[in-house]
Amino acid sequence: MDQGINRRGFLKLGAAGSALLATGSSLALLTGCSSNTEGPAEGYRYFRQQDVELLTPLVGAVLGPALTAAGATAADGMKAYDDLLEGAMPGTRDTLFQLLDLMQLGAARWFLTGSWAHFAEQSEEQLQQTLADWSAKTNGIARMAFKGLTQPMFMAWYVKPAAAKSTGYPGPPMHVTA
Amino acid sequence: MQDLTTLQIKVQDPWKNPTDNGWDVIDGRTITDNRTLEADVIIVGSGAGGGVSAEILSQRGLKVIVLEAAKLKTSDQFNMDEGEAYRDLYQEGAMRATKDAGMTILQGRAVGGTTVVNWTSSFRTPHETLNFWRDQYAVEGLSRKELDPWFAAMEKRLNIEKWLMPPNANNDVLKRGCDALGWHTEVIPRNVSGCWNIGYCGMGCPTNAKQSMLVTTLPGALSSGATLIHSVQADTLIIEGDKVTGVNARPLKDDKTPTGASLTLKARAVITSGGSMQSPALLMRSNAPDPHGLVGTRTFLHPTNFAYGIFDKEIAPYYGAPQSMYSDEFVFKEGVDGPAGFKLEMMPMHPGLNTALVGGYGASAFDQAKRLPNLAGSIALLRDGFHEDSQGGKVELRDNGEPLLDYPVNEYLLEGTKRAHLTMLEMQFAAGAKEVRPGHAHAPYYKNWKEARAGVENLEYAPTITGLGSAHVMGGLTMGQDDSRCTVNSDGSYKHLSGLYVIDGSVFPTSLGVNPQLTIYGMSARNATRLAEKLMA
Repeated sequence: MDQGINRRGFLKLGAAGSALLATGSSLALLTGCSSNTEGPAEGYRYFRQQDVELLTPLVGAVLGPALTAAGATAADGMKAYDDLLEGAMPGTRDTLFQLLDLMQLGAARWFLTGSWAHFAEQSEEQLQQTLADWSAKTNGIARMAFKGLTQPMFMAWYVKPAAAKSTGYPGPPMHVTA
Repeated sequence: MQDLTTLQIKVQDPWKNPTDNGWDVIDGRTITDNRTLEADVIIVGSGAGGGVSAEILSQRGLKVIVLEAAKLKTSDQFNMDEGEAYRDLYQEGAMRATKDAGMTILQGRAVGGTTVVNWTSSFRTPHETLNFWRDQYAVEGLSRKELDPWFAAMEKRLNIEKWLMPPNANNDVLKRGCDALGWHTEVIPRNVSGCWNIGYCGMGCPTNAKQSMLVTTLPGALSSGATLIHSVQADTLIIEGDKVTGVNARPLKDDKTPTGASLTLKARAVITSGGSMQSPALLMRSNAPDPHGLVGTRTFLHPTNFAYGIFDKEIAPYYGAPQSMYSDEFVFKEGVDGPAGFKLEMMPMHPGLNTALVGGYGASAFDQAKRLPNLAGSIALLRDGFHEDSQGGKVELRDNGEPLLDYPVNEYLLEGTKRAHLTMLEMQFAAGAKEVRPGHAHAPYYKNWKEARAGVENLEYAPTITGLGSAHVMGGLTMGQDDSRCTVNSDGSYKHLSGLYVIDGSVFPTSLGVNPQLTIYGMSARNATRLAEKLMA
């Protein structure tokens, strides 16, 4: 797709600001980049192929050594994120997908995270820097995107029994069906 | 080290074979045709409001159908797995948040509603709150004196009494900190019977000790001839002229999407008990008359902020009765309608919730996650709705009809949060914490109270980076006799349609200043009893 069109479209987003993200009308939809009609990626129930490509490196960077401690990979963390979406309502998932569609655009990534590069094209060091820059952003939309994407990663991962144990939590009592 | 993993829990599940009990329970997922059912009363929602109403109306001899969107899940399936609990027992799988992601919302979605997952704290409504409703919204007949007999009746029904066991280490932090500073503390009354003190109230009580609607009023209603239909979502009210005559409903698959079948329920009266957000959304989807545009407005959350303390001894905030001590030192200190007052409590912390709230990224986030065994989590619940700068949020509908709460975090809430942060930091240091940090994305752990006080002064208090959440959704269908500001009368009847009653927390004109379950129980018992008398007359 033509990066120029994306950038022009993206500038419109700047004007519409958080209203656009919040109302869920996605720039990516306007510019024809949305893949809402696409099915889930292979092995996933909800995330689409482009979401998996975008988010898996980010999951690896956000969860970091927590994955290693549980003998897991970024892909395991990404699968956990997908599991978390099972409980969500269709509208909850749509809102997340709209944000992810937006983040397929380099201009949006630059605006939200401070880096144009796709997460898969950043080294581990670069990703840690991107997270540092992103979490220090002062604009409200960037903060919303950071929290909206990373908060579920933690919940998704640490509810898994192996991950839960890595925090020092011994686990629940044994439930025996009477 | 505390370790309950070898403790065996084995209890009888009263829901194991509902038909053996003579209960009429319909699983919506088995409905494949288009069906019509009739009753005297349809109750939409099976939580605190719906459960209490169902039992009272059924026992008076009225034919009641209780409709619940969630699928039936009971103690045999309450395996204390945090992830499964969020998936099956919480709205939007615990991913619910306000529209701009500023506040996380933990609200139940279960047969039994939020009562299945709440932390059992049971308080009568403060006088100050009820007086404010009377003075500002012309709420009638709901003074504390008039409600006290209803509270007493529900306390007896649900075995509500002050927790007699010692607090767990997490709640002991609140007690020791407040005692050291000369602040008020008191033991929390809980709705439990034979509690095992293990700490899994938020994941569905595996021992049936918690006296949620699932094990009290819903069995009571079913034994009196009520019908429970679960896994069926109320779509719209059936409105004929100025009268509500039923509900159009849709069975849902496990993934919460419609199966394609439909269910039509007809009745003399319809009670909405879906809870705040769900009840206003049902009226909005139905295009219910709302001449002043009030439906969904004034939705409140007790915006709740956090402080995390690290102790050099084990706290194990995941074990033990989750809430047993509180402080009301600051709840009305600035007056009823002044700057935001707050109630101090502790919260249980399991790995998923803890790490989601603490946030961060990379190695430092994992370091924080690993401090869980020594972590104390304190919370301050801000009273919202009492000040002109605190009007709450507004429920909107997503394109597919699901509710969404637009509740921007404003200066009023941020100012209250900053004061509450300082209060909790001081409290946790007074209790002996070695390090404490407020729930704020930019805050480090502070080593002592002096450093913390100076640090908080330099924090940016802004939405999203300031950690806020809620487990108390209230309001949206304001009750009172002032027709210009209220949509529901003090008896629960909707002002602009006959045959429609709102019996749940959405009628509150403001937040409460206390955990809401007992207020909902008492007011629901009162208004359901009045409705029963009206329908039997």
